[in-house]
Amino acid sequence: MEEKILEILEEHCEEALDYEGDSMMEDGVIDSFTVINVVSDLEDEFDIEIDAKYVVAENFRNKEAIIALVQKLLEE
Amino acid sequence: MAGRTLFQKVVILGYGKVTSEVLQYVYDRQMEYGYELVFIEHEVHAFSTTEKICGNHGILFHRITDKKELAEFLDRIEEKTLIISASNNFLFPASLVEKAHITIINFHNALLPGYPGRNAPTWVIYRGEKTTGITWHYVTAGVDEGSIIIQKTCQITEDMKAYELAQCLMDLAAEAFRESFADILAECAGTREQGFDPDRHMYRSSEVPADGILDLTESPEEIYRLLRSVDYGKSAVFPPLQTTIDGRSAEILRYRKISGGKREEGEGLLYLPLGDDAALKIKYRFRDV
Repeated sequence: MEEKILEILEEHCEEALDYEGDSMMEDGVIDSFTVINVVSDLEDEFDIEIDAKYVVAENFRNKEAIIALVQKLLEE
Repeated sequence: MAGRTLFQKVVILGYGKVTSEVLQYVYDRQMEYGYELVFIEHEVHAFSTTEKICGNHGILFHRITDKKELAEFLDRIEEKTLIISASNNFLFPASLVEKAHITIINFHNALLPGYPGRNAPTWVIYRGEKTTGITWHYVTAGVDEGSIIIQKTCQITEDMKAYELAQCLMDLAAEAFRESFADILAECAGTREQGFDPDRHMYRSSEVPADGILDLTESPEEIYRLLRSVDYGKSAVFPPLQTTIDGRSAEILRYRKISGGKREEGEGLLYLPLGDDAALKIKYRFRDV
């Protein structure tokens, strides 16, 4: 699962893979449009629905947060 | 050398990418011109970076979500002021617009006088336009009616979704703003009247393409265009499209254009042929489940 998420991130935002901070949005690594593309690919790849309430900066602060979000949704 | 302007204050109002870029640019020019800079967040967005920009640069930041309070705040401005409505849905009261010491400019995400009002990227895609663009214009008492300062055009590609077009338009708007700002401050920006048709259609936020109904008897190309036109990702600009499958009401969850051979089986999946070697994959769920 992690590998696939990283592949999706790499496709839309390669910088996110090397980012080690805690706020990709505020640090200009990722923008809201990239988030839309990442969410769309995650939903399609894992056949999950990512509700709008999860699409917030906190869940996209770094790659670990995105992996944790998908993990949580898969377990629901 | 100091820039030339009589504006004592610049107020920026808006959200999103274009607002962040305009805010940064206006801040970068502040020392040159000497105006006071104020930012107002009227609509709060999940991924907004404007508060961070304000915090980093010591820009006065106000969050005023109430329309009446915002109108009162703006009404209290006494200095000669330029208000920049970067990406903003607040309608300025006529009493403010008509004040001699207030100048307001607005970014509209279409080529005015065409597609005034809300959600222009949606409507240009839905109508099958090949090109669109952006307009910066002076604000008058009417909606999207003031004289045009600058316009830039862009192509609408065949797979472009509303959010992708919106992004392209925001980039263009920021570029156009940077080109025009000095002339706007110097009050010498060349303008032209819109010359609009009084019968033109003003798009309202409550309007949804095809009334939000995806008719599966339409051609796949038309279906794809409708899907793309209302696609703003998770932003609830429009409610999910509704359709009928096997006599049951269903809600569209997502869609994707895929190459022809990549079909997979699964519940709530529908494939429509789209051109020679492509298909439209639509994920739906029945509403009565």
